[in-house]
Amino acid sequence: MKKKNALTKPRPAKVAAHRPARVTIRKLPTGVRGLDDILGGGIPEFSFNVIAAAPGCGKTTLAHQIVFANATVQKPALYFTVLGEPAIKMLRYQQQFNFFDESKLGHAIRFINLSDLVLEKDLDAVLAEIINQVTAVNPSIVVVDSFRTVMRKTLVSGRELETQTFIQGLTQFLTSWEATTFLVGEYGEDEMRGNPLFTIADGLFWLSQVPQRNSVVRKLQIMKLRGQESVPGLHTIRISADGLQAFSRTLGLGGKKPASARRRRRLSLGIPELDKMMGGGLIEGDSLLVAGPSGTGKSALGTQFIAEGLRRGEAAVMAIFEERPSGYIDRAECFGLDLRTPQTLGHLEILYLRPLDLSVDETMQEILSAITRVGAKRLVIDSLVGFEMALAPGFREDFRESLYRMIVALTGAGVTILSTVEVEDTFTALSFSHYAISFLTDDIIRLRYVEIDGQMRKVLVVIKMRGANHSKDIREYVITDKGVVVIGPRQTDYTGLTTGIPQRIGRVKEAAPEPKAKT
Amino acid sequence: MNRVNPKLRNFARHLIIHEAKILEPAGSHPPAAFPVVEKLRPHLAILMGRIGFRSLLARALALAGAEVPWLRNLHLKPDGMLPRVDELAAPVVPADRFEGQVVLVAQLLGLLVAFIGENLTFRLVAEALPKLPAGKKSFKL
Repeated sequence: MKKKNALTKPRPAKVAAHRPARVTIRKLPTGVRGLDDILGGGIPEFSFNVIAAAPGCGKTTLAHQIVFANATVQKPALYFTVLGEPAIKMLRYQQQFNFFDESKLGHAIRFINLSDLVLEKDLDAVLAEIINQVTAVNPSIVVVDSFRTVMRKTLVSGRELETQTFIQGLTQFLTSWEATTFLVGEYGEDEMRGNPLFTIADGLFWLSQVPQRNSVVRKLQIMKLRGQESVPGLHTIRISADGLQAFSRTLGLGGKKPASARRRRRLSLGIPELDKMMGGGLIEGDSLLVAGPSGTGKSALGTQFIAEGLRRGEAAVMAIFEERPSGYIDRAECFGLDLRTPQTLGHLEILYLRPLDLSVDETMQEILSAITRVGAKRLVIDSLVGFEMALAPGFREDFRESLYRMIVALTGAGVTILSTVEVEDTFTALSFSHYAISFLTDDIIRLRYVEIDGQMRKVLVVIKMRGANHSKDIREYVITDKGVVVIGPRQTDYTGLTTGIPQRIGRVKEAAPEPKAKT
Repeated sequence: MNRVNPKLRNFARHLIIHEAKILEPAGSHPPAAFPVVEKLRPHLAILMGRIGFRSLLARALALAGAEVPWLRNLHLKPDGMLPRVDELAAPVVPADRFEGQVVLVAQLLGLLVAFIGENLTFRLVAEALPKLPAGKKSFKL
């Protein structure tokens, strides 16, 4: 008989451990486009938050947007103003924003000025007044703007204990009163250390303006947010007529899962011979880089890729930086391709992006929004050099990182991307890009000029296809009224094609695909 | 610059007449010389602080004084209050007093319109004078 040891002895069935349900923290919308994603869903209800920044970064506008997005007659907001911007000026300027809803003033949003109390009395009196008002109104949101000015008197006189007692009393009262609180203040990062306010706060929103050459970049950092997972790092923000808009570092794509490793379809580029060279076409969800010098047909190739997709019912987006959309559409027509109709029907968006002053994240957000709008399966970026050049200098250092994030996320979600990049032909080597972006791509097609028999002809080669076999042939192509047409395999043997100055080594001499001019 | 157009002046006149009708009979305190201003005061002080309201009123008084001579003799008290009827330095005939009220209120409203716009100004007036008939709470400037 087998002896049961500790390993073979049956264990008692696991009793399902009873865990009390966790508290569900409701999240309040911020009313700021893009910010809820950064915060991990919104602002935790009943949290005690600090909005800190130097002047002019958008603190008050952010607080107003949150208030206008949430305040109702049933759940009103109290907005205490202190020694900073008087409420009357605040209202004057804030009503210029589209989110400003004057019908909410009075009943849903009440402004109360505490400047007299702060000037004439102590913090106990200020706290008492806040308690009085909150008790009377029962608000769901409380803002104190600027909190820094409330504290200034005690900070100047070195009465630290009074400050701590005030902050503690305010936090405890407002949290018990089920209010989500925002203290708005002008702080420098060096003031964070040892300041009890930042220790007590559940959320810390830090806004900044970073001058970079002639541009100023506004940034937002969620330095702290208790109870939920926010996106770390510095996010670009912009202030427009709609108020603040935030652009997540992850472009809101953080949660997108890459497509499963199932066998993916092959997509035609609209050039049968090139499809054959690629083993049947471009793999769906791949990122293809088409590199070549000016005039080699990169844009034409991109246009054919998009037109073929449209023909097959796949919506598309073209993000172009160097040529106007009308030029694109006209050229497509010369190739017998109709981009106008799909554009009218909403199956194609051609984004002409010359942002000059936009951040890379904002520009990419434009592309992502267009992809979502039309449900695009194919995207052309023409060209990466133009894209980078169109950005303000200060944003260029973020370009590759952001582009990488966007490409990885989009291809993971099944969008197939064709990007073009201009490279200079040298006659000693075949560079793919001076640009060190090859790591972004699954596949590379290189176009180049070669001098043959007194003509500057064009050849292409598939350099790389990640995870798939492809032709290694260097093939000649022409651009005709059908677009890029790859010529059938030639009988003439050459060597040194990649140098641009090949030598014929075969005996056969074929006619040029496009005849030479005769004298 | 005189931003007080006839419509705003009429609106001010209308507010003053309305307020005079509903004023409670005088008790132990002599009546305020500018009842509409006193009705607006707490609402605006909540918004701007007492000091802020005092500044706005001082500006309105300066503008109104250019038009109504007896207003030039009025001085705001340190707490921002206007003198009561019995505190006026010299007696003012009722018609002039009424005109002075109209111009001061109109100037005050004119300043508010310039700062925060018509809609918010009328909203504040409606809050301060809740018994004002609905159709009389605003007009198109």
